[in-house]
Amino acid sequence: MITKDFKISKMLSAYPQTLKVLLNASPHFKKLENKVLRKTLASRVTVEQAAKIAGVDLNYLLNELNKSINSSYTDTQKQKETNMNEKKSEGQIPTEINFEPDKIKRLDVRPILDSGKDPFMDIMANVKTLNEGEVLLIINSFEPVPLYSVLGNKGFDHITKKDGDVFKIYFFKKSGDAAKEFTDKPDSENSTEETDFENVIEIDVRGLEPPEPMIKVLEALSNVDEKTLLLVHHHREPMMLYPKLEERGYTAVTHKIEENYFKVLISKKKI
Amino acid sequence: MIQQTLTTAYSPPLKLVGKYFIAGIISYFLLCLILLINNDSIIGFHFQPKVLAITHIATLGWITMIIFGAMFQLVPVVLHVKIFSERLAEINFWIFAAGITGLVYGFWHFNTGTFLTTFAIILNVAFFLFAANIILSMRKMKEWNFTATHIAAALFYLIITAIAGLLLAINLGHPFIKISHLQYLNLHAHTAFIGWVLMIIMGVVYNLIPMFSLSHGYSITPGKYSFAAINVGLLGINAVMHSPELNIMFYIFSIIIALGIILFIYQVYLIIQKRMRKKLDIGLKHTVVSFAILAVVTVLGIILTITNASEIPNLTLVYGFLILFGFISILIIGQMYKIVPFLVWYHRFGSRVGKEKVPMLRDLYNENIGMYGFYLMIISIPAIAVFTLFNIKILLLIFYSVLFLSALTFCFNMYKIFMRKN
Repeated sequence: MITKDFKISKMLSAYPQTLKVLLNASPHFKKLENKVLRKTLASRVTVEQAAKIAGVDLNYLLNELNKSINSSYTDTQKQKETNMNEKKSEGQIPTEINFEPDKIKRLDVRPILDSGKDPFMDIMANVKTLNEGEVLLIINSFEPVPLYSVLGNKGFDHITKKDGDVFKIYFFKKSGDAAKEFTDKPDSENSTEETDFENVIEIDVRGLEPPEPMIKVLEALSNVDEKTLLLVHHHREPMMLYPKLEERGYTAVTHKIEENYFKVLISKKKI
Repeated sequence: MIQQTLTTAYSPPLKLVGKYFIAGIISYFLLCLILLINNDSIIGFHFQPKVLAITHIATLGWITMIIFGAMFQLVPVVLHVKIFSERLAEINFWIFAAGITGLVYGFWHFNTGTFLTTFAIILNVAFFLFAANIILSMRKMKEWNFTATHIAAALFYLIITAIAGLLLAINLGHPFIKISHLQYLNLHAHTAFIGWVLMIIMGVVYNLIPMFSLSHGYSITPGKYSFAAINVGLLGINAVMHSPELNIMFYIFSIIIALGIILFIYQVYLIIQKRMRKKLDIGLKHTVVSFAILAVVTVLGIILTITNASEIPNLTLVYGFLILFGFISILIIGQMYKIVPFLVWYHRFGSRVGKEKVPMLRDLYNENIGMYGFYLMIISIPAIAVFTLFNIKILLLIFYSVLFLSALTFCFNMYKIFMRKN
């Protein structure tokens, strides 16, 4: 049975027929037809988050999904699901927005998504360059729910505003840090800097004994330029690889997908 | 749901970890050499100066030295934190080395009193510094894990062992311990072996074996029960040992510990079963044999505890020998064959990968010689155990020579690896 905590990617590989259900439920899910996006985006998103992103009722979606995989899905199970989800369904109430306009850094991720790529790296890169007191404004066609927890862990709060079809999400340092008065730093010239990865190189090093995974990754680096993202499928977090990447001017972000499966995204550091 | 880590990883310099490893390897070489030279005096009652000195070369100079080095290397990788202070780790090494040298000298000449006590205090300083360094590193952990639990428990027992050792050292010069010195020694030894060494081995092995054998998808439930049983049992025997009338409790707790160890062996079996790499290489071969010996030792330990088999001449000695050599030394040598080549390769060649041709791990040492060493070791250790029991001097001389020869092969390979520059 599919539950709200199911990862979309897992569900799609286990039950390919569910793709159709998703597509029927909302045109937002069209992006899942793209394979690269399915791998990178969908592995981070649960059914619950997907429903929120698409603006579809979670219980309805779960019901449809389960129907597609199993006709014997009963009403009692449905009922249980409903009860479990009720608490969580209170939405975020957008509060007043009054950021100084020159402190806001805009990042419109729609073109990146339209070109079939995962904007995650760009968002993280922008977050990194955020100066004290600055706010990152992300513009997107859907609500990027998983991002809330990722940036939440990094100490960011968010305010989401819906503007017609467009979502505007303001990320800012949680109060305490934010309350501190900021000295005006010269605005760096890179406020509109965007890196668009044109190529994604994928390598799978699972099942290799150390130091083979490291060798494979380091050898692949020669093909990774500013416009390339190296996606490594790894069986654990490669702690000892990081210093070697640093040495060569690369940076890495690792996502734990499940036990024994990590995705390491490697790109050239921006100078 | 989503775990994300940026480039905060950190690996201490080879100079630091290498120092501990090389000191440990030299201790092992000396240990086997001293055993060979004094093979005729390692017989009879276990509480005698030379046996005490040799035991501490093994437990401190060899085993704990390697563990310290391995911990400074593995804590960042396994727990995802930096070592709190590398400087402290560096200073720690010299204090520890000085403490061991003095203590072993003190035992050998049975120079009890101020001399032995002084070095026991120096060793305590080294242990406290080590524990503090690791605990302060662990405070920065973001996500607690099973290995961290083992390390924390092991550090606790390390401190208990150290304090008990210090009290014993003082007691040799100025008797003040009310219950029997030997009973206290028994406790010191078992807290050291089960609490410190075994606990840390468990934590590390759960990481290292899957890392190199590429096992996954196994249950860790036996490991959890094992951890619980061993801790309950060990705290139990520590609690009841002061009350001789609770002898029955002592037996029960001992059996709980033994069950915990059996569960640990079963857990390791589960991990090795699920390995993706079917061929056992030199490291895993050592590991498998060491665990078979651990099973034997555990049964022997229970027999010694609940029967009066300890009155059989030399049996206690054989028991200690099998723990130190049969289980721990074989296991450490196996793990060293995995860790040391990797470390040296990582620091000397890692930065050149993809830019020039670099040697493979296998090219760093001579695996054939290593395998001869392995066979010599697994022949000599059971042989020494048996011939010690029956006190057959000439055969003991022969098999201590064989053991020494196997130590030479190990030291040769380690030397080769550390010397490899390009």
